Amino acid sequence: MISMRRAGSRSATWRTAAVLLLLSLMLLPPVRRMTESSMTAHMLIQYPCLMLLGALLVQELPARWVSAAQRWNELGIAGLVGSALTLAVLMVPRVLDLALVDARVEALKLIALVASGAALRLSWQRAGVVVQAFFLGNLLPMTTVVGTLYQDSAARVCNAYRLDDQQALGLAMVLITIVTAALWLLHVATRRTGNDAT
Amino acid sequence: MLRTALSTLALALLGWWSAAWITRDFHAWTAEGARRLIVIEQPVAVPKVALAGPGLVDADLHTWLNGAGRATIVDFVYTRCPTVCTTLGSGFQQLQHALAKETTDGVKLLSISFDPAHDDASSLQRYAAQWRADPNRWAIATVRDADQLQGLLKAFQVVVIDDGRGGYEHNAALLVLDGRGRLVRIFDDTEFELALNYARSIAQREAGE
Repeated sequence: MISMRRAGSRSATWRTAAVLLLLSLMLLPPVRRMTESSMTAHMLIQYPCLMLLGALLVQELPARWVSAAQRWNELGIAGLVGSALTLAVLMVPRVLDLALVDARVEALKLIALVASGAALRLSWQRAGVVVQAFFLGNLLPMTTVVGTLYQDSAARVCNAYRLDDQQALGLAMVLITIVTAALWLLHVATRRTGNDAT
Repeated sequence: MLRTALSTLALALLGWWSAAWITRDFHAWTAEGARRLIVIEQPVAVPKVALAGPGLVDADLHTWLNGAGRATIVDFVYTRCPTVCTTLGSGFQQLQHALAKETTDGVKLLSISFDPAHDDASSLQRYAAQWRADPNRWAIATVRDADQLQGLLKAFQVVVIDDGRGGYEHNAALLVLDGRGRLVRIFDDTEFELALNYARSIAQREAGE
């Protein structure tokens, strides 16, 4: 029993180390330059990777800390509102340009992404369908509007990125919202039929 | 639930505050928009830069701009540019035409190439000939020193990127500089009329001072 727990904690330590290693890798200047080399990579590779690592990292935190934090996050409301707002702000084109030239903005952006990934992980399950619907009902239409704007704008919205890059990103953003909405509806539908069967 | 309400409120305020900061109170959503607003509030002094081009040998930019009753409309170009610089070129030609009718020579035009590697003396000369630039009105130059050029682009937030086809994309605009060598206003690369009127007004204002 004791040896098992020790083995378990050892693998947990390895897991934590692996997450931290990947996170520091993402933050290395050459990797950041690469993931920020195009607007599409910036928003569709760097953003999701950091959020994913935030979600993985929060699972490594002591359960005591997590349950203390969750007392401020009933139904996942605070976490989902926080991530929705974070993503909304990080979709403002000026953020992408500023992050490339202003180290403060870059640092805050990276922290906000990791934090919002963590917040999503802590909040999604406890949110339930209604709060999830509210979250997606805000985030997805907003992403569609921004994506459409990126596609339709004849002018570049970021000085540091090309127009074709911006248009490709816009299209991808619209597609992602459609897929996300479809997956979530499917998830809700299958869960309901599951409930009906029992 | 009270705690959750409090933490949600705190996050909402933080989100609002960050959005307001990044958009300059919801006025500028892009870096370009912000650049134009900031310049109005805080004019940007030109850094030390030596210009080279037809009729210009190591001319100090600040000195060149200097003078009571002076204002200069500046654009950044590269002479091989097939798209936006053509608009700028013909626009500057029209500005020159409008300025030729004036008795005072308060407003000058200056095109600065950000591509000194390609834009040597003969390229600049060709560009001047292509647009029939009158050297008394419209100077065409580049900055040979790489550090000085970077300093100038950075100070004015002129961002030049590779367009993937051997050329550049850049945030083309009309920059109005006053007689004290400060960037005071930025106009769209189509707003030639507005830029000219603004340049005239500050030239007259400064001449009166």
